[in-house]
Amino acid sequence: MDTTITLKIPHIHLDPRTKLFMVFVVSSIVLMTATTPLAWVLRIMITLVPLLLLFSEGRGISALCFGLLYTVALLLMKFFLSTQSTGVVMALLTGYCGIVVQFLPAMITAWYLIRTTQIGEFLSAMQKMHIPDGLAISLAVLMRFFPTIKEEYGGIRDAMKMRGIMLGGGHASKMIEYRLIPLLFSCVSIGDELSAAAITRGLGGNKKRSSATELKLTGIDLLLMALFAILAVAFIIAKYL
Amino acid sequence: MNNQTLAAKDFITVGLFTALLFVVEFACGMLGYLHPYVVASYVILIPLVGAIPMMLFYSKVEKFGMITIMSILLAIIMFVTGMGYLGAPLIILSGLIADLIAKSGNYKSFRKTVLSYGIFSLWVCANYFPVIVSAKAYREDLLSGGFSAEYCDALFRAINTKTILILVILCFVFGCIGAFLGKAVVKKHFEKAGIV
Amino acid sequence: MIQLQHVNFEYKGSAFGSIRDLSLSVRQGEVILLCGASGSGKTTILRLINGLIPHFYNGTLSGEVTVCGKVIAQTGLHELAGIVGTVFQNPRSQFFSVDTDGEIVFGPENIGLAPDEILRRKAQVVQEMDLQPLLQRSLFQLSGGEKQKIACASVAALFPEVILLDEPSSNLDWKAIGELRRIIGQWKAQGKTILISEHRLWYINALADRVLYLKDGAISQEWRGDDFFSLDPETFRRLQLRPATIARSFLNTQKEPVEAMPSTDPITLHDYYFCYEQTQHLFRRHLSPHDTKEPLALSIPSLTLPYGRVIGLIGHNGAGKSTFLRCICGLEKRCPGRITLGGQTIRGKHALSACYLVMQDVNHQLFTDSVLSEVLLSMDSPDPERAGEILTSLGLQDYAETHPMALSGGQKQRVAIASAIAANASILLFDEPTSGLDYIHMCAVASLLSALSAQGKTILVSTHDPELLTLCADEIVQLDHGQLAAQYPLDDTSLPRLKAFFEGSCS
Repeated sequence: MDTTITLKIPHIHLDPRTKLFMVFVVSSIVLMTATTPLAWVLRIMITLVPLLLLFSEGRGISALCFGLLYTVALLLMKFFLSTQSTGVVMALLTGYCGIVVQFLPAMITAWYLIRTTQIGEFLSAMQKMHIPDGLAISLAVLMRFFPTIKEEYGGIRDAMKMRGIMLGGGHASKMIEYRLIPLLFSCVSIGDELSAAAITRGLGGNKKRSSATELKLTGIDLLLMALFAILAVAFIIAKYL
Repeated sequence: MNNQTLAAKDFITVGLFTALLFVVEFACGMLGYLHPYVVASYVILIPLVGAIPMMLFYSKVEKFGMITIMSILLAIIMFVTGMGYLGAPLIILSGLIADLIAKSGNYKSFRKTVLSYGIFSLWVCANYFPVIVSAKAYREDLLSGGFSAEYCDALFRAINTKTILILVILCFVFGCIGAFLGKAVVKKHFEKAGIV
Repeated sequence: MIQLQHVNFEYKGSAFGSIRDLSLSVRQGEVILLCGASGSGKTTILRLINGLIPHFYNGTLSGEVTVCGKVIAQTGLHELAGIVGTVFQNPRSQFFSVDTDGEIVFGPENIGLAPDEILRRKAQVVQEMDLQPLLQRSLFQLSGGEKQKIACASVAALFPEVILLDEPSSNLDWKAIGELRRIIGQWKAQGKTILISEHRLWYINALADRVLYLKDGAISQEWRGDDFFSLDPETFRRLQLRPATIARSFLNTQKEPVEAMPSTDPITLHDYYFCYEQTQHLFRRHLSPHDTKEPLALSIPSLTLPYGRVIGLIGHNGAGKSTFLRCICGLEKRCPGRITLGGQTIRGKHALSACYLVMQDVNHQLFTDSVLSEVLLSMDSPDPERAGEILTSLGLQDYAETHPMALSGGQKQRVAIASAIAANASILLFDEPTSGLDYIHMCAVASLLSALSAQGKTILVSTHDPELLTLCADEIVQLDHGQLAAQYPLDDTSLPRLKAFFEGSCS
């Protein structure tokens, strides 16, 4: 499935700085809700761009899932729910759809940044933006650790199922303990091994880090940055003027 | 090993524990969509549960800067996930103060750690900043954003300029309680297992 | 090249793996194999050379270590990065990047080489190690063997003069070990100085120039490589080492006689189909071999297993062994498989209580703060007396109050087994229980499995260790591409068949 999609859509690989700028714009815009139809259109546009970019990076499936979720929440809100909705189910549904419509664009863009950016690329982008090395390393590890936590947690969940302790025997504290403790043990030991492996390969030395591929802002980067800048300005105008 | 500048190992530790703390926050946050009063109870839930990874983190902190960097990372995450930038100064400030307090105890004194984590926990309150600072606009935003009027009313009953002080205090108090709880868990598991 | 002079080291708070008055001198281009039981100090020696001791691990150190004329204690780790490279044991945890390309150039980028030079090195390493098919991939999707290959490449791209390997084969299958052997051979031919710490010895045959046998933190014996690998099997057993050649591994092990169970109805498994690709159906439906275009990761229409025996599950990485085990114990909801056991048919979620999987990463299975409570947690109604009996039967009685995570790998495994027994599981599944274990511990696992089967448990163990199988397995099930390739009882007549499988897979 992924391969057929990548064949159709040209592969666009953006500079991490462009992606960071997009994240910045989208995260700022999601803070403000759309109040006019034009603002809605703009909001949907800033959601579509990262979705298309996910497609072009061969991550069609996740793009489809995100897109579907967003569309369903949007349609539900537009046609079935209103602020006058009452009743527990309706209120809950309204709440969920609201959250999805409100925050999903930021999630999608952040996901796009995390899943399509190589760590080396990210570090050198940070360097170009004069972010201190230490902060950049911490951020890179933060990004890298989410899939690791997911993997470890998967194993722990399986083990819990086999023991029949998913609900912690009815105690909320046990539910948390059984999940968190093995996760912490695993992650701490992985963290130690990761540190050892990274340091023996020279991470954190006093030499300036170089990069295999020189980062360069290409035409498409500039185009997207301009597009997002315009969208952001247009959104603010549409909302407040 | 003993010099005071942060090394790659420390930065990796910070990144790792920030990821873990965020996962805890996210899991607790999911509960918040059930009812607005749950949103308010973040100030209790997150400091308590977050204390478990955080007390383990404190046991690994030896140098100044690690707690501050963690708060910067948290501020960035909050911004990226759409929580806004209004809370960022508060998050970073509380991180810095927490770091200074822990440093004054040489990162060893448990009393200072409790105080430090109590202050650090104030980052949770940053989530409410948009609600307080721009209450009126935020309410309109929520309404037009599809939240029910009921939800909004309840949310603003729970969180407003009067209650924020209570929330901040709760956050701090439960942070301190959390520190004892987290320390107990660290003792029960990690010290007993010889990891710390 | 490398000099250790009267080195003593003890980790902070633990005597495990400490080194006592050890002196060692390694010439340039030498390949050295370090062997010995767990805790004998193999890994510590490597850490002394790559500088993790004293720069990363705390402890008390005396004596001096020099590599290429640099005193390690006074040299920063980043300065050593271009001189000493280390391949670690666990392929999962030694990556900084998330993609293969980024990982290969990670080291050269750190030491600040020019971009052209980095790309040149990358191209060279990719060509030498045949990595083209692995480029542009996510590291999280690679198999253990592929990850380890990338780890080797990442170290090699730094062009270090000294390469250290810390039990690199622990998580690999035979095919991957064969590749590892080829890579080490290449490094040797390039004149690199190499130190390997290992339990599996056969693949280093003809590579090692010198073999050091460590005991209690000191070098107790030393051989030339050729001499070591032609030692007689008796010596290996006396030194408690794993066999030195594949052929011999089948000679020097003898199955312990176990009292046969009274014949009971065999266990049958039906309809074990599984496919990784999430099929895009709106409603979940069960898989069958006819309705999918995707090749099934697992396709076993029916399999009969003898009751109360140890059954070895063999096959290459990716043959579907782990998936099969997960399906049997009910962890894969989409698998329609069912088990018939003593006239009862068990399917889906119910398999979770009849079967128990001891995972490869046993750390995920330990939840509580003491061994005893771990066992009690598995019981429907806590019965401390029975829990005590179970612990005694597994030799864990002295550790009842110890935290499970404070135990050694083999002991943790036994805690997991104890909770399986406490949960009354009748089928026990083991995923690679002996990877990374030394000879003594492997034998201990083998006799434990035999003992469990004598108690009426049916044991299915997936493994890459032929030694383990010859020690305890009654029957062999071989998987290939998710399908049943062979099934036969293991006895003198079928031993050559098992041997042929393992030899075939490493060439």
